[in-house]
Amino acid sequence: MKKMQQLALPYLIWSILMLLLPMLLIVFYSVITSGNTIIPFRLTLEHYVRFFTDPDFLLILWRSLSIALETTIICLLLGYPIAYYIARCDEKRQNLLILLITLPMWINMLVRTNAWIGILSNDGVLVQFLSLIGFHDVQILYTRTAVLIGMVYNFLPFMILQIHTSLSKMDNSLIEAAADLGANRAQTFWRVTFPLSMPGVVSGIALVFLPSVSSFFIPKLLGGGQFFLIGNVIENQFITVGEWNFGSAISVIIALIMMLLMMLVRKAEKKSAVQEDRS
Amino acid sequence: MNEKRRFSGRTLLVLSLLFFYLPILFMIIFSFNDSKSLTHFTGFSLRWYDAMLKNHSMMESLYITIIIAVLATIISTLIGTLTAIGLSQSGKRMRRFISQVNDFPLMNPDIVTAIGLMLLFITFQIEKGFLTLLLAHIAFCIPYVMLSVMPKVRSLDPNLADAALDLGATPMQAITKVIVPEIMPGIVSGALIAFTMSFDDFIISYFVTGKGIKNLSIMVYTMSKRVNPSVNAISTVVVVLVTILLIVINVIPVIREKHKGDRIESRSSRGWKIGGICALAAAVLISYFGIHQSSSLPYAGQTLRIYMPGEYIDNDVVSEFEAQTGAKVVIDNFDSNEQMYIKVANGEQYDLLIPSDYMIQRLKDEGRLEKLDRSKVKKTLKKMNPYILDVAYDPGNVYSVPYFWGSVGIVYDKTKVDREDLEKEGYNIFLDTKYKSDIYLYDSERDSFMMALKALGYSMNTESHEELTKAYDWLKQCVETMDPEIVTDEIIDNMAQGRKALGLIYSGDATYIMSENKNMGFYMPKSGTNIWVDAMVIPKGASNKDLAYAFMNYINSYEAAEANSLYVGYTSPNQKVEKYLSTHDFKGINAYTPRTDYAADEVFEYNDKTRKEIADLWSDVKIAASNAD
Repeated sequence: MKKMQQLALPYLIWSILMLLLPMLLIVFYSVITSGNTIIPFRLTLEHYVRFFTDPDFLLILWRSLSIALETTIICLLLGYPIAYYIARCDEKRQNLLILLITLPMWINMLVRTNAWIGILSNDGVLVQFLSLIGFHDVQILYTRTAVLIGMVYNFLPFMILQIHTSLSKMDNSLIEAAADLGANRAQTFWRVTFPLSMPGVVSGIALVFLPSVSSFFIPKLLGGGQFFLIGNVIENQFITVGEWNFGSAISVIIALIMMLLMMLVRKAEKKSAVQEDRS
Repeated sequence: MNEKRRFSGRTLLVLSLLFFYLPILFMIIFSFNDSKSLTHFTGFSLRWYDAMLKNHSMMESLYITIIIAVLATIISTLIGTLTAIGLSQSGKRMRRFISQVNDFPLMNPDIVTAIGLMLLFITFQIEKGFLTLLLAHIAFCIPYVMLSVMPKVRSLDPNLADAALDLGATPMQAITKVIVPEIMPGIVSGALIAFTMSFDDFIISYFVTGKGIKNLSIMVYTMSKRVNPSVNAISTVVVVLVTILLIVINVIPVIREKHKGDRIESRSSRGWKIGGICALAAAVLISYFGIHQSSSLPYAGQTLRIYMPGEYIDNDVVSEFEAQTGAKVVIDNFDSNEQMYIKVANGEQYDLLIPSDYMIQRLKDEGRLEKLDRSKVKKTLKKMNPYILDVAYDPGNVYSVPYFWGSVGIVYDKTKVDREDLEKEGYNIFLDTKYKSDIYLYDSERDSFMMALKALGYSMNTESHEELTKAYDWLKQCVETMDPEIVTDEIIDNMAQGRKALGLIYSGDATYIMSENKNMGFYMPKSGTNIWVDAMVIPKGASNKDLAYAFMNYINSYEAAEANSLYVGYTSPNQKVEKYLSTHDFKGINAYTPRTDYAADEVFEYNDKTRKEIADLWSDVKIAASNAD
C-alpha cells in the first residue's frame, strides 16, 4: 500500500508554502526595520522592546486576555449543560436542536453583531426593558458588557457543538457499566461522562478563546472607538498606521501566548486522562 | 437529580436559542422598516430591498461569498480527504510534520493567520484579489477537513485497501469504491465545517483580498458605521436562502427514509446536502450572470472602480449613471484617508479615488496621480464655487475635480447646551466638565488635532513640536476627564437621535442631523476651523480613464449633484445646487453653507514631518482613552 503514501506529497508542499512560510514571514517581518537603499533592512528587536516597555500596550493585552477568559468561562458554563441536554434527547430531536444552533452560524457574524447595536443602544429594547423593571439609565452599548455579550453570542455555538460531538460519540454502555458497578448519577457523570467529554471541552475552549482574544470587529462595533483590544491594535498597525513590522511583532507575541496556553490546556487534559486511567 | 439537570439544561437551551435568534429577528423586522431607524418601527416598506437590489457592490459581495465558499469547500474537501488517506500510510515523521503545520491555522488566532497570508502574497507580489482570497480560504479549510476525516481513516482496517487491490481493483478504485464510502461521514462533516468556516469568514478575507473583491463580511465592515438598513435586507435574504436549503436537505432524507432502511440511507442523504449546496450556488451563479447582460450603451460591459468614504453617495445616482452609460460601478469604501493611502500605495488598482485635500497633495507629490485632461472637465469646473477651486493642495486643479466640501464644527443639542458656553469657550467646551460623558470625539487624527490646536490658538498646520505636544496634552486631558465616546460615522445617527449633547462633526453630517432633528444646532468656533474639499482624482495606472471622466462630469451635473447632496447632506461644489438647496430643502440649516473668507479658517496641508508624529500621538490618545475606565 506504499503507493497511497504519495497522495500526501502535494499537500506537504502546499502546507509548507501556505501554512509554514507565512508564519516564518511574520517572524521575519517582526525582527527587521526598513533601512536605506543599499541595505533594504536590518535586524532589530526594537518592536518587541517597544511593546513590552509601553504600559498602555500591556494593559490592552491584559484586557484582551481577561475578556477572552471571561467569554470562555461563560460559554463553558452555559454550553456544557445545553450540550448535555441535547445529547440526551432522541436522535431526531438532537438533529433538530443542533440544526437550530447551527442555523445562526450560517448568517454572517458581522451582520449578526451589527444587529446587536439596535438592541443594546440606549433607546433599544434591552435598555427600555431594563428601565421598565427599575434599572434606569443603564448604558450597555459601547461598554465592556456589550463586547462581552457580543463575544458570547458569537462563540457559544462553537462550544455547544464541540461538547455535543464528544458527548454523542460516547459509548452509552460505559455509563450503563458504571451504573451496574454501583456508581450513582453524580459519580457516573464526574468519573465517566465528564472525563470522556474532555476532548470536546478542550476543543470548545480553543474555539472560543482563540477568536475572542484576537477579535477586532466585535470591540469595534459594540465597544466603540475607544474600546481597544489587541486585535484592534494589530489591525490599526496594518490598515491605518502602516507599520507592518511592529504589527508583526505584536502578532508573534499573541501567537506565542496562545501556543503556550493551548499547550497547558492540552497537558492538563492528558494528565486528567491518565489519572482517570489509573483510578 | 437527573430531572433537575434536564430541566435546567432545557431552560438554558430555550434561553440560548432566544439569545441566538433575537438579533436575527430584529434584523428581519427592521429590514421592512419604513424609516432608517434601527430602534423604532415606523411602518412596513420594501424600500431597503429595492435599495439592496440596486446596489451592485452589495449583490456582488453575496455572490462572492457563496462562490468562494463553494469552491473552497470542494477543493479543500478533495485535497484534505486524499491527503488524509495518504497520510494514514505514511511514516511517522511525515504525519507529525503535517499535523503540526495544520495546527497553525487551527491554533493561531485568525488575525495571525490572516497577516501571515497577507505578508506571503505581498512578499511574492501576488496581486491580491479573487485568487488570493480563494487560496487563503482553501488554506484554512483543509486542516478542518482533515481534522474530521483523519479519525475515520485511522479507524479503517488497514487491510481493507490491500484486500481491494488484491482482488484486482486499481488504486483509484480502491479509494473511490472502498475507502471513501467507509469514511463518508467524516468527509461530509468536514465539508460542512469548511463551508461554514468559509461562508462566515471575515478576518482572513479582510486582510488577503483586493481589487474590490469583497465578501459579505467585508462589505458590512467597511460600509461605514452609518446605519444602512439594506444590510438587514440582504441578511434577511441570506437567512431565507439558508433556511430553505437546510429544510430541503433535512426533509428529503426524512421522506426517503420512509421507503428504505436508515443507516445506509443517512449516508446518501448527506450527499444530498452537498448536492443542495452546489445547486444553490449554481442558481446564484446563473441568476448573477443573467442580470449582467450587455447592451448597446456607450460604456456597456465596462467597469468603473471607485474608492471613496462610506455612505458618501446616493445609490440611485449611481444606478442612474449605470443606466445611462451601460457601465457597472464598483464602489469600495474606506474609513480614513490614511487607510486609503496604504491600500493604494500597495498597488491596489482603481479608476477613481475620492480622498481629501491634504491626501490629494500627498498622492500628487509622490507621483501617484494622473494629470487630468483639461478639455474633458472644463465645463464641469466652470459650474463650481470658485472658493474651492485652485486651492493650495492642487493649484489650478491639475489633478482633481471637487466632489463635496465643507467645514468642521460642533454639533450640539439646543435643549442641553447653553449657546453662551459655546460662544465663550469654543472648542474648550470639550474640556468643560459640565458636559462630562455627554460628548463625542471624532476618530480622526487630523480633525482632533485641528480642534486641539485651534483651541490653543495655534495654526492647524503647525510644525512646532512644542505646539503639537500641547495639543496632545489638551486631547489627553479631554479623554481622561470628560469620558468621551470616540466615534466615526455612528455619530450621525446618534446625534440625530439626540443621544449626547455635543460632538465634533463635519458640516455635511451636521446638515443631515439638523434636517432629521430640529433640536440640533451647528456652531463654528471663532478660533477658526478646517475648510476641506474632498475631490475626485484618477490614480496612475487606472484602466478606465474615460469612464472616470464621464463620472466626474455626471456627478457634478445639476440633477445628479442635487440628488447626491440632498441624500448625503454635504455641500455640493456645484454653485447652483448649493444655492438652491440652501434656500429650499436645507433652508435655515447653517451647516450646509460653510463659512468662507474667514481669516482664522485654514485648509489642511500635507506635511510629511508631522504626519507620523500626529498619527502616533493620536494612537496614544486613543489608547489612553481606552485605558481611562
